[in-house]
Amino acid sequence: MPSRGEDILKGFQVNWMNLRDADNGKILWQGNEDLSVPDVEHEARVPKKILRCRAVSREINFSSAEPMERFRLEQKVLFKGRCLEEWFFEFGFVIPNSTNTWQSLIQAAPESQMMPANILNGNVVIETKFFDDDLLVSTSRVRLFYV
Amino acid sequence: MSEYIDGTNCPWIPEKQHNMLKSKQSTQHYSKSLIRLRSKLRLLLLGLDNAGKTTILKSLASEDITQVTPTQGFNIKSVQSEGFKLNVWDIGGARKIRPYWRNYFENTDVLIYVVDSADIKRLEETGQELSELLLEEKLRGVPLLVYANKQDLGHAVTAAEIAEGLGLHNIKDRDWQIQSCIAIEGKGVKEGLEWACKNIKRK
Repeated sequence: MPSRGEDILKGFQVNWMNLRDADNGKILWQGNEDLSVPDVEHEARVPKKILRCRAVSREINFSSAEPMERFRLEQKVLFKGRCLEEWFFEFGFVIPNSTNTWQSLIQAAPESQMMPANILNGNVVIETKFFDDDLLVSTSRVRLFYV
Repeated sequence: MSEYIDGTNCPWIPEKQHNMLKSKQSTQHYSKSLIRLRSKLRLLLLGLDNAGKTTILKSLASEDITQVTPTQGFNIKSVQSEGFKLNVWDIGGARKIRPYWRNYFENTDVLIYVVDSADIKRLEETGQELSELLLEEKLRGVPLLVYANKQDLGHAVTAAEIAEGLGLHNIKDRDWQIQSCIAIEGKGVKEGLEWACKNIKRK
């Protein structure tokens, strides 16, 4: 008989992610592949102009067949494999057979501190880990290219 | 290169992001996090299915609202208004999802209840759901904002009639406000939110 953890994993899927210019809501990038497929590094080609946005909104849509009691997410931005920063977000309860979205706002750094696109290009990876309490449900890695 | 390792230099993370998702490190600065608590609010959007909760949420985030589909779970967005950082939780309103609403009550600063002003047949049902919410211990004293949505529809009833139908004038244990809106046009949505920001839960 499969464990509860296996059931949760089997019924979990990241449906899409996107990035928007937070000022006008326009989508700058959207990935529709299943980003929760493990051991695959996904690639996102993001327009360079994203670096000029005052704020960027990032949205993730996921589904779960099983209920979860303490669903949470850890997201890291890695530059050449080093963690620049980390966020934590706790969703709490997840409804069985639900599809959910989480969107958060990222404020731009002051222009003087902004890293140029050619340095960031291909060197930034967004790693998102989903947990139910301490059970790792899914990891997704998206490498960013500025085009 | 060392300067690039500082998170504030990375366009993805900018320091202000911290206040939404407090990093483990920042919890050590307890006094700072207390200040942040005041400026970060949790808003809970509830109401029957098809009331317009997700459309209101998208409107708050200035997003395209042509592709709204029935919510089969939750949608969470961070938005800024009046200098506040708001985490808005929109939970699906379908009958089979409503029993799960209670899982999202905790730490709510403002309850936003959305009514389809043209759905006269279900005015009683929506009133019943609201009165049950107002009895919930975890929502005790939480300010209530009601959106009388879809005011553009011909047979919509006015906000005053909705207030009457929901018995809002009998509410004595919390601040409340009713706001007419047309969420698909973004009309009235911001005004409601401004009220919400001014009425943070009094602890």
